[in-house]
Order: sequence, then structure tokens, then C-alpha cells
Amino acid sequence: MKALKANCRIAKMNRRIKYAALLVVLIALALSLSTCANKKEAITSVSQLNDPNITIGVAQDTAEGKLVEKDYPKANIQYIRGEVEAYTSVSQGKIDAFIFNKVTMQTAMVNGLTGVRILDESVGEPVYSGVAFSPVTKVPDLENSVNAFVDELTADGTLDEMTKRWIGTADAKMPNIPKPSNPQKHVVIGTTGANMPYTYYSGTDLTGYDIELAYRFALWFDASIEFKVYDYSGIVPAAQSGDIDCIFANMFITPERQEALHFSHPTSKSDIGVMVKDDSAANPIGNIRNSFYKTFVREGRYRLFIKGIGMTLLITILAVLCGSILGFSIFMACRRGNRIANGFARTFNWLMNGMPIVVLLMILYYIVFASTDIPGSIVAALAFTLTFGAEVYSMLRTAVGTIDIGQTEAAYTLGYTDLKAFFRHILPQAMPHFMPPYKAALVNLVKATSIVGYVGVQDLTKVADIVRSRTYEAFFPLIAIAVIYFILAGILVFFIDRLMNKLDPTKRKAEDILKGVRTHD
Amino acid sequence: MIELVHLEKKYEQTTPLKDVNTVINDGDVISIIGPSGTGKSTLIRCINLLDRPTGGKIILNGEEITAPGYPVEKARRKMGMVFQSFNLFGHLTVIENLMAAPMDILRKSKQEAYDTGVELLKRVGLSGRELRYPHQLSGGQKQRVAIARTLAMDPEIILFDEPTSALDPGMVGEVQSVIRDLSQTGKTLMIVTHEMSFARAICNRVFYMDQGGIYEDGSPEQIFDDPKGELTRRFIRKLKLLELEIDSTEFDFALASGEIDKYCLQNDVPPRTKYRIRLAFEELVQQLLMPVLKRTAVHVTVEYSPVEMQTRVTASYGGERFDPAEGGNDLSYNVLKSSVEDLSYEYDLNEEKSNIVNLVIKESKDM
Repeated sequence: MKALKANCRIAKMNRRIKYAALLVVLIALALSLSTCANKKEAITSVSQLNDPNITIGVAQDTAEGKLVEKDYPKANIQYIRGEVEAYTSVSQGKIDAFIFNKVTMQTAMVNGLTGVRILDESVGEPVYSGVAFSPVTKVPDLENSVNAFVDELTADGTLDEMTKRWIGTADAKMPNIPKPSNPQKHVVIGTTGANMPYTYYSGTDLTGYDIELAYRFALWFDASIEFKVYDYSGIVPAAQSGDIDCIFANMFITPERQEALHFSHPTSKSDIGVMVKDDSAANPIGNIRNSFYKTFVREGRYRLFIKGIGMTLLITILAVLCGSILGFSIFMACRRGNRIANGFARTFNWLMNGMPIVVLLMILYYIVFASTDIPGSIVAALAFTLTFGAEVYSMLRTAVGTIDIGQTEAAYTLGYTDLKAFFRHILPQAMPHFMPPYKAALVNLVKATSIVGYVGVQDLTKVADIVRSRTYEAFFPLIAIAVIYFILAGILVFFIDRLMNKLDPTKRKAEDILKGVRTHD
Repeated sequence: MIELVHLEKKYEQTTPLKDVNTVINDGDVISIIGPSGTGKSTLIRCINLLDRPTGGKIILNGEEITAPGYPVEKARRKMGMVFQSFNLFGHLTVIENLMAAPMDILRKSKQEAYDTGVELLKRVGLSGRELRYPHQLSGGQKQRVAIARTLAMDPEIILFDEPTSALDPGMVGEVQSVIRDLSQTGKTLMIVTHEMSFARAICNRVFYMDQGGIYEDGSPEQIFDDPKGELTRRFIRKLKLLELEIDSTEFDFALASGEIDKYCLQNDVPPRTKYRIRLAFEELVQQLLMPVLKRTAVHVTVEYSPVEMQTRVTASYGGERFDPAEGGNDLSYNVLKSSVEDLSYEYDLNEEKSNIVNLVIKESKDM
């Protein structure tokens, strides 16, 4: 016993040493990569961009990519998922320039982004943004109403006033716009919540130019409104599937997008600017206390994180409970099943295991449940229920398969029915084989839920993205959520371990075994 | 009483039971013997419907349990079974193994099940092991618990599927003695076993199974000493006489050693004698003969006579005259001599294998 404990301790220590070594290697790798950025001549003019040695970054799923392809055919293009990543890439010299909405970039700099600068020159023609409409919206006359509303605001100078309020300023405040007292209509509005100054989070509230516009429209249109937040990559499918009625997210009006969606009259105009590295700037890695303050404390952003943790836990726990029940049910149905039942189970398993979970999630959200009002979180829970259920089914099959057929036969010969034998003698012996992989699957599930941002669910990862878009901190929020995921997984593992001990019949105490029996000794 | 009427069990590839007809009376203690693959296990597994017969009828106390819709569990409750591989429930303690079915199936109270369990453990000599887990027991102890577990359901019939063949030789005795006690209680027992002296001691009937059915059915004396059927005779002869053919120096001597063990077990040869048989065999064949003979085949027979308490070993081989005493390996020859009572060598040109070595193994006086 003692030797066993000592062994355990040594194993634990070994593990710790291994983790520590791994961490050191990772840090060393990161440092060496960040220092070996190659020195290049500073870019001062847009004319320097059309060069095969230049790498230009553009944000994924935005209109600027086309422009760069056309105007700078010699340069390399790199597509980057979000603006914050792009800013970081520029400041670290991973890309030479980032071409994007100039206003957004200027706002970022006003709000504390360092290590980069924006060229005075703009590229291409100024672009116009507008409200985009779902082709299948059920709100009557929405497009014409928005157009009339935009025309009115352009004419009476409200848009100019809004531009002054939001564009190029720090700490802009949303004016108080009354809600319609007795709204007759309801409009679901899609936005990204991650594009200052147009749509972003201040604390836990959406704010920005487009958000103000949306509130003004609600009043004007006498409608209640509801915001749904998506990535740029998810927002167009959401509009096409009718999940949202229109998009207020400063979407550039481009011919390509107009093929997919209708746009309103322009709501704003912006130049396209170029961001390059500012060599004079200090090391962009700031101090941790400041990062912590910006990420968690300012504007009460911890509340966003708490919400995100809640959402991640909700999806995980729903998926674990329902998935376990589903997997167990399929297993029981097919345990002594005929060829059809087994074929069904195998096909289900094959489908669920063969498909990337993100694809399953998109199919469920944008195709299967497109026309329903089921929220993304429930669809996400369902998607994970299905995949987790398939996993539970396979793990159960494997675990029960390890129990010798002789156990079942022994129970039969004592007069047990098949089902009774299974629950009384086979399953309890299979559990110790089932629980360890189950635990691993559960930990994987917690982490796998980080993709639900695709269907507009604000889980922990999505919250980190939102905060990153405000603080322009590329790493800190990511590391913070990594730690949180570790803790969440740790808590789940703790409970599973306790459950495992409870379920292991060989770990019972002697006095519990013979509870309520008078022994003779 | 069990009646088997035209019982048939067919698999896709083979048909172990073609047509089995017999009546098993209450209180019968039956040993089932026969070459491997003749459906001995299949027969008893069919009787308690672990394997569903593909034809014919099984009638238990006047009820046809093979009738469609007959509750299988009801039939099985009257028939216990003891397996070769014990099949104790690994997640339960010894006492719980005995209590589970009476509580779950017979709805006995925990106290009642416990009392019966303790009583039965005492009967199989395992008092005090109540809270052990099966993996903490030796093979013989496991099998005794398995027998007690079967008894806890108070069956009318107990089926034993080679109950001692997975045990170390030293543990066979303890299990046999439990079964021997059981045979005095008037329960019907059916035992698949090849241990002749054990069968002789407790059985009133022996089934010799071959050719898809019960080939010969008789008392132990009749089957073992004076079998009627040709196949029975041949099988019994093989049980009593071990024949080995060693044809090269690459011969698997470990296998031969296992054959000798099996033979000794079936014929109830005392352990010390068994050790001497093995020693004599190894010295004679492996050390003295094979290094010289190389590719010449050696035919070895071992025969134990329980009446005379004597074991004869003969080794015969062809080729030129070769007396193992003159092979130059004095060490092995002396070891051989020390383990036998009598050693003789003949050279007879009239025989196909002209060299013949005869050994009489020393008997232990203290056994």
C-alpha cells in the first residue's frame, strides 16, 4: 500500500516535471520565433506594396481581399481570421501590411493600440457600408423602411452627428434613445460585436455606430429589436437562412455581396487604409497587471466571462447528460439487436465520428433548424449530444465487450433474465473499463465546445474574441481562457473521479457490503 | 427426471449432437466421457438451454422445456451449472456471489441469503473467506465457491462442465472431494470428466459420447473395465495407455510432458510416481536415445495399473542394435536407473522396431 502511494507520488512528480519541461520548450519556442522577425525597409507609401517580398494581410470574409488581389497582384496575400490577430501580426512583423477599414484601425489606435501606424494615403476608392437584408425575412417592407429611414437621417444631419460621436474618438457614449412603448413588429438584427467603432461590447452591452443606428431605427419603425452576434464568417449564412432579418455591422457594399444579400442605401463611408509596423514603438508585450485590468476589470468585462463560462458549462452539461442517455439507449437497443438495429447504430456512429463537429453544427443550425426559433445554444447542445452519444455508445460497446461471456452464462444458469443479468452483473463490471475513456471524452468535450461561436453562441472562447477586439491584446485573453478551460475540465474530472470511486464495486467498505445483516462472529 | 428425445444440435459447420435419447433419473450421478469434439459440453449446455437445441425435446419433470414460449429461467432455476472457468462474479465478494441470486431471483431476505451462504461456505471448507473477492482466491477455492453459489439456489440437478480441467493438479483433489460429498446428497449430477478413478468412485452411470450421441451408457465398471462398443474400447485403452511417438530431436518435449501429466491425472497416478515417470522419460528419450538415433522414430508407451500400483514404460525403436547402457552417457543412465525398479533391454529382429527398452517405475512406499 505504502509502496503504491510512493509510486503514485513519483508518477505525479514525473508528470509535473514533464509538464514543466513542455512549458519551458513552448516558451522558448515562442520567444525565439518572436525575436527572429526579419528586418525590412520601413513602408512609407502604398506604392511600395506591389512587391513579391511583401505580404499583405486582409481579414477573412471581408471585402478588402478582392481589392488587394486587384491592385497589388505581385504581393502575397494572407487571410487572417480577425482584426486583433492582424494588428498583432503587423506589430510583430509577420505581415508587412494590413489593409482594412481605415476608421476601424484609427479607432483602435485611439483606444490604445501600439506598435503600428497607419499610412496617410488610402488605397482604392472609398467604400460605403449599409444594412444588409435577409432574402427570407418575414418582416413586411423592411428593406424599403430602412432605406426611407436612412435617407431621412442623411438629410437631417443625424448621420453626420453620429459620425462625429463615434468615429476617431475614444470612449464614445451611446446617447439615450427611447424604446418604442408599444411595438407592433419584431426585428432580429445580426451583428458582430467585434468591430469598433461600429459594433462592439462595452462591458456586457453592445454599442457603437451601427448599434445606435439600429436603436434609432427601432424607434422610427415602431419595432422591438433583438441582437444576435455572429462571426463575420457566420453572419451571411445566418441572414440567408432567415435566422436574422437584417445585418447592422458596417458591412461594405460590394457587388459580390450584393449577389447574396440586398443592401440598404449607404449608412457610412470609409476609406481603406494600410497599417504597417511602427519600428519606433516599444516592445508590444505590456505588463500583465495592465492586461489583466483591461481584460477582466475595465467596463466590468468579468461579467462577460462569467456569462461565457455559464454558456460553455450549459452546453457541456446538457451534452454530457443527454449524450450519455442517448449513447446508453442506443447501446441497450442494439445490445441484442437484429441486423437493422445494429446497422442503424453503426451508421449513426460512422456519421457522427466521421464528420468534423463544426460541420455538423453548421448543418444543424443553418439547414436542419434554419426555419425554427431554436436558439444557437440549444442547437449546439444538440450537436454535441449527438457526437457525445456516439462516443458513449462505442465506449460502452468496448467496455461491455471486455466482460467474459462466462459471466453472462453464469448469471443465466442461476436463473437471471438477460436484462437482469446485464444490469446486476455485467454493467457493474464493465463500468471500470468504461469510466476512464468517458472521463477523457468529457474533457475533450469541454474544449470542443469552443467552436459554438460559429452559430452565434457566446461561449467562453467567443467572449475572449469579443474582449480581444476591444483591448487589442492578442494573448492575454487567450491564455486566460486556456486557464479557465483547465479549471473547468479539472472540476469535471474531480466529480467524475468521485463517481468512478462510487461506481467501482471493489472499492466498497466491508461494513457496507453486509449492511443490515446479523453476522455470527 | 430428464428425458432427452431425439435431441439434436447443429452448427453451421458441425453437428455435435445428431440424435441423443436417454432418461436421467433423479439421483443419478453421471460421468460423461469421450474424445474431444463429441459434444460432451454441448450436451449439458443444451440441457440447461445455454445452447438452444436445434431439434428434439427435453422433458424436465414431465414439462417440455424446449417447447416454444416455455420460460427458460424457470427451467434453469432447477438446474445449476459449474463451469470449467468458474465464472464467479468478479465485482462481488464471495458471500455476495452466494447471496445475489437467492435475493434477486428467489426474493429471499438478505439475512436468509447470508445465513445460507455462510452455511454453504462452511460446507465447501471456505469459512472465513466471506469478504474476499474472487481474484484473491486460488483456482480450487474459486471452483468451490462456484459450487456453493450453485447450491445456494438449491437446484435439483447440477451440471459440471469439466470442473477440474482448468485447475493446477494440486487443487483437483479439494474440488473433487466437494463433488464427492455432493454425490451423497441425492442430487442429480452430470459431470464432464476424464478422471476415471474419480468417476468410478462417485458415479452410478457413465456416458461414453461419440458419433453425435451417447454411444455407450453403463455402470463405471462396465465402461471402464469391459466396454462393449469398439469405439469405447479404443477410447478407454487410450485413457489407460499413453502412447507417444518421438521422431526427431526437435520433438516438443514440453508437450509430451503435458501429455504425461494429463495421463497421470486421468488415471489417478500418485504425484511422486508421476514425477518419476517424467524423469525416466526425459532421461531415456531426450538424453540417451535421441542424441544417438537422430531421425529414427521412438515409440513410447506408459501404462499405469491401479490394481498392481505399477507403471510400465516401454520405448521401442528400429535400426541397428543400440543399448542405452552403452551410449557413453553414464550420468543420465544412472539417473534413469535410480528412478526405476527394473530396467531391461532386448534386441529382437522379428519386431519392426527391433530395440525394446522396458522400465518399471519405482512406486512410492509412503503414498
